Amino acid sequence: MASIDLEKMRQKIKDTQWALVDFDWESPGAEKITAKQWPKLKTFMADLMWIEHVGARGFAALAKSAPTENLREIYTYFHAEEQRHANAEMALMKRWGMLEENESPVPSANLRLVIEWLERYADDTPFNLLATLIPMLEVALDGALCKYLLETVDDPLCHKVFAKINDDESRHLGVGFTVMEMQGKGPHYIKLIQLLGHLVDPRLIAGAMVYFPLLNSMRDNLIAMGMEEEKLYRSMEKFKKIGGRTSQGRRNPWFQVIHYHGTIMVNRSNYFYHVPVDMLVALSNKIPRRLLPAPPSWVAELTHRPIA
Amino acid sequence: MNDSTINNQTHQILDVIIIGAGFSGLGMAIQLQQANINNIAILERDKEVGGCWRDNQYPGAACDIPSNLYSFSFAPNPNWSRAYSSSHEILQYIKSLVSDFELQRYIRFNTNVKKLAFDEKAGFWTIKTDETKNLKARSVVIASGPLANCSFPNIPNLKEYKGHKIHSARWDHDFDFSGKKVALVGTGASAVQIIPELVNKANHLTIFQRTPAWVLPRLDARTPHWVTSLFRKIPSAQKLTRQALFALHEIGALGLIWNSPLTSAMQQVALKHLQHQVKDPWLQRQLTPNFRIGCKRVLMSSDYYPALQQPNCKLITWPIARMSEKGIRCVEGIEHQFDCIVFATGFDIGTQTAPFSVKGIGGRDLGEDWKRGAQAYKSINISGYPNLFLTFGPNSGPGHNSALVYVESQLNYAVQGIQRILNEDLARLDVRKKSQEKYNIQIQKRLSKTNWNSGCKSWYLTEDGFNATMFPGFATQYSVQMSQFEDKDYDRTPA
Repeated sequence: MASIDLEKMRQKIKDTQWALVDFDWESPGAEKITAKQWPKLKTFMADLMWIEHVGARGFAALAKSAPTENLREIYTYFHAEEQRHANAEMALMKRWGMLEENESPVPSANLRLVIEWLERYADDTPFNLLATLIPMLEVALDGALCKYLLETVDDPLCHKVFAKINDDESRHLGVGFTVMEMQGKGPHYIKLIQLLGHLVDPRLIAGAMVYFPLLNSMRDNLIAMGMEEEKLYRSMEKFKKIGGRTSQGRRNPWFQVIHYHGTIMVNRSNYFYHVPVDMLVALSNKIPRRLLPAPPSWVAELTHRPIA
Repeated sequence: MNDSTINNQTHQILDVIIIGAGFSGLGMAIQLQQANINNIAILERDKEVGGCWRDNQYPGAACDIPSNLYSFSFAPNPNWSRAYSSSHEILQYIKSLVSDFELQRYIRFNTNVKKLAFDEKAGFWTIKTDETKNLKARSVVIASGPLANCSFPNIPNLKEYKGHKIHSARWDHDFDFSGKKVALVGTGASAVQIIPELVNKANHLTIFQRTPAWVLPRLDARTPHWVTSLFRKIPSAQKLTRQALFALHEIGALGLIWNSPLTSAMQQVALKHLQHQVKDPWLQRQLTPNFRIGCKRVLMSSDYYPALQQPNCKLITWPIARMSEKGIRCVEGIEHQFDCIVFATGFDIGTQTAPFSVKGIGGRDLGEDWKRGAQAYKSINISGYPNLFLTFGPNSGPGHNSALVYVESQLNYAVQGIQRILNEDLARLDVRKKSQEKYNIQIQKRLSKTNWNSGCKSWYLTEDGFNATMFPGFATQYSVQMSQFEDKDYDRTPA
């Protein structure tokens, strides 16, 4: 994947828009979801949809902090496109009888904590961190979750919808890796000092405390559904390979941190990481719902209805 | 000469033709009349006077500058009903100028100018209009205004929408909004005035915002009767009020034009205003601009934010992907369907382009000359286009004070120029190219230090980022530069 012309990409993004009304949500195929796969698929779709939505909020933060007008506009589109993915996935859930009218999937406790963190701190998160983290999550989505979904679900509409989602994601990745390489320019030691400064920022430490358990709980859900861990491992390798394909990419210190974390996240034998993080998962699941703050109003923007 | 025949003459060469019967066109006629220049005509494309105030009669339309300042100093009105008068009241004021100064005799309504061409040997302008017969004049004043032509947004498939469409500057007063699902595109100066009115009429109102603007509270109030009486009995009291308002707005320039501690203070006021009126953090975020106050036009409203939070109102900040037959598709994948879409999307700015074909010396074309950015000398004359005067010309826009203060200076300057042409019997009074270039280099240098040129996109700038709209300074500075006609900067050719 070569670096792309971001000006041309902005126009391409504008020229390749699609909407939920482009699909016939009543078309045959919903019956192909088997009773056996239905409950786990419901959990999987809810996780997938929420991760898209959380990614959308990340792009919203990038749209504020991006260094150029062009990138700000691109990220504004990506914010909306991730929301479109979440909406489309909710529409699929509705089609498969997993949602009632006006119902949204209930986020897990880990997701609720991540949403709360994003609400408070996303806009203050360093651009370089978010601009590297989001491509990693998208590689995981693109390379593992979506592929797995299409391998297990026979509904043709699901395939049509995800063909569009994957086209969007490939543009997100193209921009993401280009921006990651842009961050590798400039004096290395300054980037390193900035990185160290951010790593001891209490807001980022709090972010890690909610983000790590979310990844682990999602990984557990996927494994429980029957997905091979190998898929996650391969997607992390892909992130490492593309992100580190150039010296500039490798000089981006956040890339080094995030791909290292991805590697240990998919390696279950790393007890030093997984034991405490799994404990955090268990702990967060014990938090009484009433103690969690009310979801922010951007969550209420989600809808499965193609027409408003 | 019998006055009643003035506007019927087509055979003779008029001294001055004024294009446009808005504020500046009528003001020009008044000033010429007072300078004893009466062989003039005003060409108006509409059937009424009023310019943008005739066109902008949407619900809630009003001026952002207090009326005692947004009026001509030579025609004070002691009867303004509010601090910030409605568009309707301003239009009545403009109409009163016509009757008070007996301007009706000069005006030719329904006369749309198509082309101006200068005959350099004879020293007059030929004005081609919709009518078959051409008009001729020794001088022309283009007073067609910067906000004469409404602009629709550049949204793909705009024409595909089959529902009712309204532009804020061409309001459809016959359309009944009750029970209707309505969209409003834009969140600029017109939109913040329409929204609080429309939210009370429509069943549901959806606002589509591209970029939020800074909004300051609008300290509007009904004028007490005693004030009106005072202004009627003691006109100097109104004059004093006007001067105080002028001075107050001049101070605002320190914050709005240049980045200063006052800019931060004004931004804090706008931010506190937002935080006070909007409690939801996400909505606050959506409404918080990402540029310094002053970079774009600052809006004034105390009821815009509350209107947005009405149960039947929704703000959408997703980018618009395209129009569809029934509504607007946004990038979040949802098609929003409506009975009616209101476009509060502004104007094609007249300071950046020639309003019609203008041919100067040697057939040079103003549209071509301004292709890479409109330029004029002191915003009023253009080299190569003799005996031509502009109101609201390039770089004459204020960001902090009444536009009419600037217009009055232009009128005064134009009268001085026209007097020279007539009194000295000049075929051509043409500003020197070098003087124009020198002036514009200075203007652009000064503009580079202003908030307008600090990086945000606004209607002040062209697509290339060139600022041909704003004057980088105090209104007082502008008035001083326009007070004296600079003879040394002009070439004179006797008839």
